[in-house]
Amino acid sequence: MNRTRAILSKAAWSVFTILFVIILNFFLFRVLPGDPARAGIRDPRLKKEAIEVLQVRFGLDKPVINCFESLNPIKFGSCNVNPLETQFFIYVGNLLQGELGISYHTNRPVGEILSERLWNTVLLIGAGQVLAILIGVALGIFAAWKARTSVDYGAIALSLFAWSLPTFWLGIILLFWGSANGFPLAGKATPGMSSMPPLQQWGDILWHMFLPTLTYTIVYMGEYTLIMRSSLMDVLSEDYILTAKAKGLSMFQILKDHALKNAMLPLVTVIAINLGFTVAGAIQIEAVFSWPGLGSAIYEAVVRRDYPVLQGAFLLIAVAVIAANLLADLTYTYLDPRVQVE
Amino acid sequence: MQTTLKPSEPTNLISARLLGFWRVFKKNRGGLIGFVMLVSIVFVAIFAPAIAPYDETSASTTTISDIYQPPSAAHWFGTDDAGQDVFSNFVYGARVSLTVGFFAAFISIFIGGLFGLVAGFFGGRWETFLMRFTDIMLVIPDLPLMVVIVALTRPSLLNIIFVIGLLGWTTTARVVRSQTLAVKSRKFVLRARAIGAGKGHIVSRHILPLVMPILVVQAVLVISLAILNESALSFIGLGDPTTLSWGQMLNYAFGRGAMSTGAWWALVAPGFGIVWVVLSLTLLGQGLEQVLNPRLDTHHLMPNKPTVHVDAQPPKTKSLLEVQNLSIDYVTEGKLPAHAVENVSFTLREGELLGLVGESGCGKTTLMLSLLRLLPAAGQIVNGHVFFKGQDLTALSEEELNKIRWSGVSIVFQGAMNALNPVRTVGDQIAEAILRHMPDFPKDQIPARVTELLDLVGIAADHKDHFPHQYSGGMRQRAMIAMALACNPQVIIADEPTTALDVMIQAQILELLDGLRRKLGLAIIFVTHDLGVVAEMCDTVLVMYGGVTAEYAEVDVIYNDPRHPYTQELLKAFPDLTKPKKKLSSIPGYPPRLDALPPGCRFAPRCPLAFERCQTESPRLHVIGADGHVASCHLIEASK
Repeated sequence: MNRTRAILSKAAWSVFTILFVIILNFFLFRVLPGDPARAGIRDPRLKKEAIEVLQVRFGLDKPVINCFESLNPIKFGSCNVNPLETQFFIYVGNLLQGELGISYHTNRPVGEILSERLWNTVLLIGAGQVLAILIGVALGIFAAWKARTSVDYGAIALSLFAWSLPTFWLGIILLFWGSANGFPLAGKATPGMSSMPPLQQWGDILWHMFLPTLTYTIVYMGEYTLIMRSSLMDVLSEDYILTAKAKGLSMFQILKDHALKNAMLPLVTVIAINLGFTVAGAIQIEAVFSWPGLGSAIYEAVVRRDYPVLQGAFLLIAVAVIAANLLADLTYTYLDPRVQVE
Repeated sequence: MQTTLKPSEPTNLISARLLGFWRVFKKNRGGLIGFVMLVSIVFVAIFAPAIAPYDETSASTTTISDIYQPPSAAHWFGTDDAGQDVFSNFVYGARVSLTVGFFAAFISIFIGGLFGLVAGFFGGRWETFLMRFTDIMLVIPDLPLMVVIVALTRPSLLNIIFVIGLLGWTTTARVVRSQTLAVKSRKFVLRARAIGAGKGHIVSRHILPLVMPILVVQAVLVISLAILNESALSFIGLGDPTTLSWGQMLNYAFGRGAMSTGAWWALVAPGFGIVWVVLSLTLLGQGLEQVLNPRLDTHHLMPNKPTVHVDAQPPKTKSLLEVQNLSIDYVTEGKLPAHAVENVSFTLREGELLGLVGESGCGKTTLMLSLLRLLPAAGQIVNGHVFFKGQDLTALSEEELNKIRWSGVSIVFQGAMNALNPVRTVGDQIAEAILRHMPDFPKDQIPARVTELLDLVGIAADHKDHFPHQYSGGMRQRAMIAMALACNPQVIIADEPTTALDVMIQAQILELLDGLRRKLGLAIIFVTHDLGVVAEMCDTVLVMYGGVTAEYAEVDVIYNDPRHPYTQELLKAFPDLTKPKKKLSSIPGYPPRLDALPPGCRFAPRCPLAFERCQTESPRLHVIGADGHVASCHLIEASK
C-alpha cells in the first residue's frame, strides 16, 4: 500500500467515525427514556400556544426520521413526509452549517457558547499534555537507562501511584493546598483584568492555570513514564544498539542517535489513543477549578439539564479527538520509514 | 473415542497450574503487595457492618453542631456535611465502589472477550466488522459519552454499572483477539481441527484455557478503570443519590462546603479509598502480567560487571592481538556464576585469518564480544587479558576503549538482520562511524567515501540512501561489512557472517572478506560452523568446546593431525572431497549447558575415547610440537 492510499483510507475512516458519532448523538437524545429532547419545553407554566412556538423553534414539531414511528416520541402529522423535513436531516443540515442548536438555559446558540470554551480547554490540555509528556519521557528515559536500580524502581512506583490518582480528587487536594498558599481558586482570570495590558492579562491567566495544569501533569505523567521506559528498554536490547556500542559511540550518542527516535514511535500511538482519556481528565479538572472550558460546559449542562449544550459539547469533543487521532496516525506514517512500503 | 477421555484430568491440571502459578507469583513483590491490598479492602467491604462504628442510616438525630466535626475519638475520620461519620461511610462506600467496579468489569470482559474470541477464531467478515466497530468505539472519548448517557437516563447504580460496562470493552476485545489468533495457529489446535473436532470443542477445550490468563489480567485493569469512571461520574453529579459510593461522598463534600469550612477529612478518606483500590489492582495487574509474560529486563547500555583483575601483565608476544587466559562468567542474582569461557588464549598477526570453530553454545560469541567488552550486563571477565597493539583492553576506561572500538577492531555481527538501525539510512550509519573515529576526514568527502565502501562490497551507490528494510538479507550483511571497514580497522571479527544466507551469497561474502584481507592486510577472526570454509581460507584454527580451548593450531595441522577427539569428530562429520566414499558421522548429544558442566573433561560425556580419568579431572592444555599446536586432552599426556 503506498503512502497516499494509506493516508486516504485513514482519513476516510475518520470521516466514517464522525458520521457514526453524529448518528449516535442524534438518536441518544431522542431514543433514551425521559424524552430529553423536549425537556426544555416541559414547563407547567407555559400555555399551549407558547409550547407550540417553542417546539417550532427547537424543531421538535417534525418527525424524528421518516417512517420510523416506533422511535418517534412526537406524534405530529403523517410519518410520510419529505425526508429533508425530518428532524434528523434538519439536524445534519444544521451541523453542516455549523449550527449546534439553541441552549435551553441561556437561549444562545450552542455553537457560540462552545466556541468560546473550546480554546480554553485546548489551552489547558495542551499545556498539561506537553508538560506530562516532557516530564514523563524524561523520567522514562532515566528509568530505562538506570534499569533495575533504586532510581528505576522509584520511578516505577511513583508512576503507578500517579496513575492511580482519581483526577478530580487530586485537583481537590491541590485546591486545598493552593487555597492556603494564595493561589486563585477558580476561573481563568481575575475579574476586572480585561482592562489591563495584554502581558498582565496573560500573566494572570498563567497564574490561574497553574493548579489545573499541575493536576493534569501529575495524573498523566505516570503513564508516559511507564510507556517510555518499556519502549526504550525494548529498543536498547536490540542488536543495532550493540552495533552502535561496538562502533565506539558514547552512551549519550547511542541514546540520542539510535535509541530515542525508535523508542518514541510507540509513544506517538499511545498519545493518540490517550486523547480520549485526556478529555476525561479535562472534564474533571475543569469541574473542580471552574475552568471555563468544554469540560465545565458539560458539567454545567448536566446540572441544568441543558441538553442541546451537552449534545453539542459531546459532538465537538468527539470530533476533536477523532481529528487529533488522525493527525497522530499521520505523524506516525511520516516518522517511521518502514510504514511506507507495507 | 473422544468420550473416553478422563473427565477428572482437566480439574487436576487446572489446580496444578494454579499452584505453579502461585509459586512464581508470590516472588513478585509488587504483585503480592497489590494482592494483599485488594484482599484487605474486599475484607472491609464484606464485613462493613462489623467494622463501621455507626449504622449507615443514622442521620435522623443530626443537629447543626454535628456537621463537619474534625476527627476525634468518637469519629475517627470526622463527620461530613450531613453530620454522618465519615469512617462508617467510607467503610460502606467500599461496598458500593467495589460492586460497581466488579459488575461493570464483568460486562466489559464478557463483551470484549466474546468479540475478541469470535473475531480471532472465525476471522473473515466477522473479524472485519467487529474490529472496525472496536476501532470506532476506541476513538470515541468514553467518559463524555458515559456522561451523556447517564445524564439522559435516570441516575441509578444499575444504570451506571451498565453504561460503564457497555463502554469499557474495547481494549479487551483487541487483546483477546490477538491472543486468540496466536493460539489458533499453535500445533495442538491445528491437530484438533485436523481430526475434525467441533468448533465449540476447540474453543472451550483448547483456546479458552490459553486466553483465560490474559482475560484475568485484563479484568483486573478494567475493574480499576470502572472504579475510576464511577467515581468521576458520581463526582460530576451523575451518581446514584441514594447510595454513597466514594465518588458520591466526594461529590457531597465538595459541593456542600467542605472546602470553605476547611473540612479536609471529609475529602481525604474517600479519595484515599479510590487510590487504595486502583493502586492495588494496578500492582496486581502488573504482577500477573510479569508472571505470565516474563521479560528479561536487561539492555545493552546497562553497566557491565567490572573486570576482575588478578595481575597486570605485559603482552608476551608482539602480535597485533593477543588474548591471554581469558575467562568469562555469567553472574545472575541468586545463582552460581556460569563459566561461559575458561582460560582461552590465542594470538593474531597482521593479515592472519583465524578460524574459530565449535558447535552453538560453545562460548564463541561470548569470547568475541568480550574482546571489546560488549558482553551483556551479566557477563564478567573474571580473569585474563586482551592486548591490542600492546594495550590491555581489559584495563582501559570506557572512553579509552571507545576510541579503539571500530577504528582498531570492528565486528560483523551474527545475523545482520537487526544489526542495522531500521529508522536510519544505511549510508548515514556508515558515515556515522567515519565521523566518530576520523575527525580529520574532510566532511564534504564523506559521501564519496561511503559510496566507495559500498562499492567495495558490491552495493550500487544509489542504495546509499535506502533504509535497511529495503535491502535483501545478503545486501544487509555486505553493508555491515562495508560499515566494519569504514574506519580502516586492523582487526575484523566476523561472527558467523554467512549463517541464514543462501549458498551463493555465502560464497560471495566469504570471497569478499578474503579478498579484502589480501588487499588491505586485515587480520580477521572468522567464527563459523563451516569446516570447509576454514580449510579453504584460514591460517590458524581455534576449536572451542564447552567454553574451553579444545585445540589450537595451524590449519594444516588441524586437518592432518587433529589430536583432540572433538576436532577428530568434527572433521568426521564434514564431507571431504578427497575421500568421497568416506562415511559421514555426527556426534551424538549436545554441548553441555553452562549451568550443568560435567565435573571432568567437558567433552567426556560425548567422547568416544573417554576413560575413567576424563570423568573426574579436567585436562589441562598440552603443548604438542613447536609451532604452537595445543590441545586439552588426557590422551595426549598418556601418549607422551
